[in-house]
Amino acid sequence: MKILLLALRTLRREWHLPELRTLAASLVLAVVALGVVATLTTRMERGVLASAAELIGGDVGVSAPETIPAPFAQMGEQRGLSVTRTASFPSVAFAQQQSQLLDVLATDTAYPLRGTLLIADARGQQRVTHGPAPGTVYVDHRALVGLQRRVGDTVQLGGRDLRIAGELMQQPDGGELVAMAPRALMNLDDADRAGLLGVGSRARHYVLLAGQPAAVQSWRSWAQSATLPQGGELITPEQTQERMRNAFDRSDAFLRLTALLSALLSGVAIALASQRYARRKTGEVSLLRALGTSRARVFGLLLGTMGGLALPAALIGVALALLLAQGAWYFASQLFSGVPTVLPVLPSLAAAGMGIAVLVGFALPPLVRLADVPPVAVFRASMARRIRRFDVLYLIPAVVALALIWNLSGSAKLAGILAASLLGVAVTAGLLAALLLWIARRIAPGGHPALRLGMAALARRRGLSIVQATALSMGLTALLLLAVVAPALLDGWRKELPSDTPNWFVLNLQDDQRADFSKALARIGANQLNMMPLAVGKLTAINGHPIDSLHFKDERAKDWSDRQLRLSWSDELPPANTVIAGQWFTPHPAQAEVSVDTMWRDMYALKLGDTMRFDVGEGQIDARVTSFRHVDWTSFRVNFFLMLDPTHASALPHTWLASFYLPHGHTEALAALSRDDPNLSLVDVDALLDRVRDIVQRVTSAVRWVLGFSLLAGALVLAAALATSGQERRHEAALLRTLGARRGLLRIAAACEFAMLGLIAGITAALGAMIGGWWLGRSVFHIKDFMPQPLPLAWSALAAAVLVMLLGLAGTRKVTHTPPMRLLRAE
Amino acid sequence: MSGGSRPVVARHVLDVRDVSKSVIGPEGRLDILSNVVMQVSEGESFAIVGASGSGKTTLLGLLAGLDTPTHGSIQLDGHALETLDEEARADLRRRLVGFVFQSFHLLPALTAEQNVMLPLELEGQSDAREKAHAALDAVGLGSRRKHYPAQLSGGEQQRVAIARAFVHSPRVLFADEPTGNLDRRTGRHVCDLLFALNRDHQTTLVLVTHDLQLAERCVRSVELQEGRLAPLERPA
Repeated sequence: MKILLLALRTLRREWHLPELRTLAASLVLAVVALGVVATLTTRMERGVLASAAELIGGDVGVSAPETIPAPFAQMGEQRGLSVTRTASFPSVAFAQQQSQLLDVLATDTAYPLRGTLLIADARGQQRVTHGPAPGTVYVDHRALVGLQRRVGDTVQLGGRDLRIAGELMQQPDGGELVAMAPRALMNLDDADRAGLLGVGSRARHYVLLAGQPAAVQSWRSWAQSATLPQGGELITPEQTQERMRNAFDRSDAFLRLTALLSALLSGVAIALASQRYARRKTGEVSLLRALGTSRARVFGLLLGTMGGLALPAALIGVALALLLAQGAWYFASQLFSGVPTVLPVLPSLAAAGMGIAVLVGFALPPLVRLADVPPVAVFRASMARRIRRFDVLYLIPAVVALALIWNLSGSAKLAGILAASLLGVAVTAGLLAALLLWIARRIAPGGHPALRLGMAALARRRGLSIVQATALSMGLTALLLLAVVAPALLDGWRKELPSDTPNWFVLNLQDDQRADFSKALARIGANQLNMMPLAVGKLTAINGHPIDSLHFKDERAKDWSDRQLRLSWSDELPPANTVIAGQWFTPHPAQAEVSVDTMWRDMYALKLGDTMRFDVGEGQIDARVTSFRHVDWTSFRVNFFLMLDPTHASALPHTWLASFYLPHGHTEALAALSRDDPNLSLVDVDALLDRVRDIVQRVTSAVRWVLGFSLLAGALVLAAALATSGQERRHEAALLRTLGARRGLLRIAAACEFAMLGLIAGITAALGAMIGGWWLGRSVFHIKDFMPQPLPLAWSALAAAVLVMLLGLAGTRKVTHTPPMRLLRAE
Repeated sequence: MSGGSRPVVARHVLDVRDVSKSVIGPEGRLDILSNVVMQVSEGESFAIVGASGSGKTTLLGLLAGLDTPTHGSIQLDGHALETLDEEARADLRRRLVGFVFQSFHLLPALTAEQNVMLPLELEGQSDAREKAHAALDAVGLGSRRKHYPAQLSGGEQQRVAIARAFVHSPRVLFADEPTGNLDRRTGRHVCDLLFALNRDHQTTLVLVTHDLQLAERCVRSVELQEGRLAPLERPA
């Protein structure tokens, strides 16, 4: 207790020291950077799941092509969960002479349990409601247009006359990309009585549940072990939000990377500041030791001082992180409108823990060595400077840095690349700095006295100069790395969703409709039309063994083999597909061939040369696996797990699936088109596209905002470096002033010194960002044909030199005003 | 004011008239020097002795133009220091003044040669290295040019400091307790060197010390007592 009080007294006395303030600022920054990003990503994660629940209409559910067995609802009710039952099916509605194929969702009056069902009445007044009452129906605008009806009119659906009680404005849509349209909501009992849900109907039945998270989790555990009906599957927020999730996952990785680099830079600043602190305290510690204070007590005192500094700093960091995260959420929350999420505190507390780990890791070595100062050093200061060629303590920051990289990158590959890049930059910067210093020292004697003095100043503190250049290089590398990768990454995201990304899909297009349909689309202003054949079949055997007799480790395999599969074919490898093993189809192969997506390869443990049998219509096709593909499922293109070679597949019974871009405001023309071809199913994905575009835009802003942390961390490194050499600089300035140096000369000398330092750091950082950026861009973020541009990097190196020079001059402004009398007084 | 028996050289390199120095401390105004009057002639060696806190260092700072008096006038080689700003005084120091300190004040990261070159580099002299070699030879450290201060003994470090002080041939050399950090024997050798160079270069030497034996080697000596100058009472 006594030692703690003593430590706190020491801290109060020493708080004015720049190195302690740098330590505190570095810790605050590390905690804020880590905390904001962790809080924001956790909250986004929750938001994604919560908004997924909105899309589903419940927290979790089960669907099947037949009535869901009663236990699924009963087990939910037993756990206190609310339950709703729905069924979806296509059906044709009639109104006088008009007919329209509708995507109908029949619901009970409890629907939806989550999310919003919004309708507009005949006067256009909107209200939130639940499933329609018996005898009524809600239909969307396209259905109203297609049927030429208004709210309050009657339509016939399933042979029953139903009054249109409202125009469907917004509904939980199941989060499925491929959903039928236009939409209608009718009462579940009406649908049942109309025979729309009976045996032989194309209805898919749902039971959705919502309630307390623990109860939901308990039901999920039970449902996962229960036997699902044939073709049934669980509906979870995770699978529902896969696309949105992908956008978040990438931004999450990027934000975490930024926070990580800020934390590591703070660590460098901490290391520099703690070294300076240790040097300053050497005399005091040797005196304490001489007066009989044990080594352990000295160490305890130092730890107490650091603890007294670290705890409030970490708490300030947590408070700031929560404040900033709350502010950031204000903007991000619009992505999850109406989704209530609580500000999570734990991620910021964890960040405080990590920040303290950074402080301990980077500050510990000099403090341990400080406690080792022998009492005899009170007589001979040189005794305190025992140089060790290798000190195992200096591995601690490396271990902490690696642990942090591992923890935050969440990927061994990313961690490896990061660690290697940073180490490479550190070593290169060190070597380059030593080389440039050596050259400068040889060139300088022939130059202006200020240049000579500046270079001499760098050479005088050769070790520190190299450390400074290395630290600055790492800071600048982090910034340039982010500056290099971020625009390409964000540009890549934007390019994935250009403004003319196909926003409509057409299912069930027949061979003889293709030509007319293409012309009709062109007439109404649609473009980017792409058609793919689509056959529906089932996987029945692998290598001649019936699929039911095979056992697979992956539980999904059984589920997929029960489902109807979508098969397609093409001469060319489709965009967003990459062959990673084997070869794409050769023209006219003797035997049928199939190209398999990697998920399917892993699920069924397939190898090149295996044979897969598919039942399609009345026939069968045995296809040899000739290639495996990586498919970018986030690309919003039509993609298939299985693609057959066109020679053999084109004879299979098939329809066509078309995708195209239709500018906004052409919906009525499209509805007319759909009336002419009632067999077609039109699917609108505009809303989903808009949502993902919105995410990308907001994430772009977030990334730019978080970059500021790295900038601050870089400035802290420079401040710490200046504080480290501050006393020495003041002494030198006093001596030089005593010997007659003018202030202007000292300022120019300092400008030369810092410009040189900045140039070394800038050149190294530009090289590091060039190589590291190329590596990260290609290997981690998969940016196609990514090559950082050297010219902007060269300018950045130059700008870094100027910036470091200005910061250095600002930081040493007081030094040039050091009164020469200080030298005499220091005697 | 005169102290020694040797003839006084007519030209005054330092002319101090009625100089006072006060500072404002936590307990109000503190008078460090009061009405100091003294002259030092060209080539003369002049000692200022006094107990700790008597104002020796303050006076040395004022004489060398490191600080300005609260009252009075100091002329260094004909220049009234109190009329010059800090930059002009720096120019004057660079051209006219050399320093030897008790703690040597060598830059630890520079070799002996580089330390000696420093005043010449400040003047932008191109032959700094050659002159530094000569200066180090003169103090007997020609073979230790590439050594860093930490690799030299205290006496050797002070000899490097003396070489640095003389290398640009100053008009006045100010020495602040030049033997304070040295043992008696080494101190004596360093003093021999200091006086020999003073003699050879005709440099005016102003010495601050509490060592009376050292003060006795100077042509004149004065004693500071509570901020006022008094002739030094020499032992019989």
